[in-house]
Amino acid sequence: MLILTFSFACYLFAIRKRPLLYVGLVLQIAYMISRAAELGRLPLVGPHDTLVFLTASIAAFAIPFGFALKDRNRFFNVVAILASVFTAFAMITRQHNSPLPPVLKTFWFECHVVLAFMSYALFGIAAILGGLYLKDQQNSIEGLEYRAVLVGYCLFTLSMIFGGIWAYLAWGTYWVWTPKELWTSILWAFYTFYVHVRLRQWWMGKPAAILGIAGFGVVMFTYLGVSLLMKSSHGF
Amino acid sequence: MKIIKQITDFFFSLSTTLWLLGLLLLLLFAGAFIMPGTQEFQEIHSIPLFDWLQTEPLKITWWLWGLTGILAILALNTIFCSIESIVRKRKVTQWLLLISPQIIHIGFLFMIFAHLLSAIGASQELAVVREGSLVKISANTLLKIEDININIDYYGYITGWAISVEYLSDGKTFKKDIIKPNNPSVHMGFNINVKDLRAYPVEAVLLQINKEPGALWALIGGVLFMAGIVTLIILKIKVER
Repeated sequence: MLILTFSFACYLFAIRKRPLLYVGLVLQIAYMISRAAELGRLPLVGPHDTLVFLTASIAAFAIPFGFALKDRNRFFNVVAILASVFTAFAMITRQHNSPLPPVLKTFWFECHVVLAFMSYALFGIAAILGGLYLKDQQNSIEGLEYRAVLVGYCLFTLSMIFGGIWAYLAWGTYWVWTPKELWTSILWAFYTFYVHVRLRQWWMGKPAAILGIAGFGVVMFTYLGVSLLMKSSHGF
Repeated sequence: MKIIKQITDFFFSLSTTLWLLGLLLLLLFAGAFIMPGTQEFQEIHSIPLFDWLQTEPLKITWWLWGLTGILAILALNTIFCSIESIVRKRKVTQWLLLISPQIIHIGFLFMIFAHLLSAIGASQELAVVREGSLVKISANTLLKIEDININIDYYGYITGWAISVEYLSDGKTFKKDIIKPNNPSVHMGFNINVKDLRAYPVEAVLLQINKEPGALWALIGGVLFMAGIVTLIILKIKVER
């Protein structure tokens, strides 16, 4: 937990000194490795571990996107704030240390979760870029936002496919009518709408940027809101 | 003639896609708020979706009827737009760039088809069984539970299981199988897996017998969708470089 506290501090102070963002990321990776060694499995179950993984993914994906920007300071500052907020939430949530149920011990589950959170991170990056575009009105920023969404959409779709394969093997059906699945469909349909809408000239720029920001709201509700407020087959 | 043109223009249009996706989102949003608070949805998997829809009141199912209609129109719109795109851009040199979005669309159509098949023919039944229990799978097929083996660790957590089963027809065993976590027994379109189990006082298993006719089509659709989208992203990166 000490490593996580240090990574939180690094993210927080990365607003002043950007190299601390990289230090925070390295510390968080070290924390995940230590958790994996302690548990004997990938630490990807429950809000604590998934929030840590999401934060590390946001920080990691921010690096290539940040370096593609001319004015990268503000972008990295927002990333640092987001990373420190998520890390703070991770620190106050309970760790899931009990052994995994046998049905969760499979490659399909691990890939499903890893890809889902990597896509969430990319949607988060897209939302940050959308916010920066609304401030600066630079087309290159909105182009980057589109790329982040496109790669995130690809990973998210792959995550859904892996989830479907796993559900079929574990429970005999690739689709279950639960709030989590429904919100996952909403998320997928939302970004399907985004990638199609952007083919229209009128929707490029401000409307697409706003959609990218709204999309991350749907991501957050699908991830945290549904799990906290509704009964579902997914713990998180 | 004018009406036919209006209909074809409607199906060939990207605006139609956007409106349909917007409506789809609204219906999914509505369903996300109706479903969690409605008791009737607990039974949604027990019979095919279309059968279930006909037995339940419209005030809780209207969004699912709406989704079915929107998806049907969206499927037609996808086919029309893909054909139009191929015809319009057929002379482009980078044919992979032209074809990859259409592969994504074909993957989507396969997934819709999979859900349609499942909505017509999927079912789910539960059975509590012990060693020696017999479960009727189909008119002339019985499933016999030969052996239940549950692994429990030092702390009392279940770490695994192996349920030996036999398929019987006219009293004769014709197939043996073992059900393990993430390793169901599949026979004649039925997928038999363990939903729950207990070790004490007597070893007992809650078996789930699913029929999911859309599963293979969904997998094919997923693979095509991914192949298309990965190709598209790689090509877009190359073009930009």
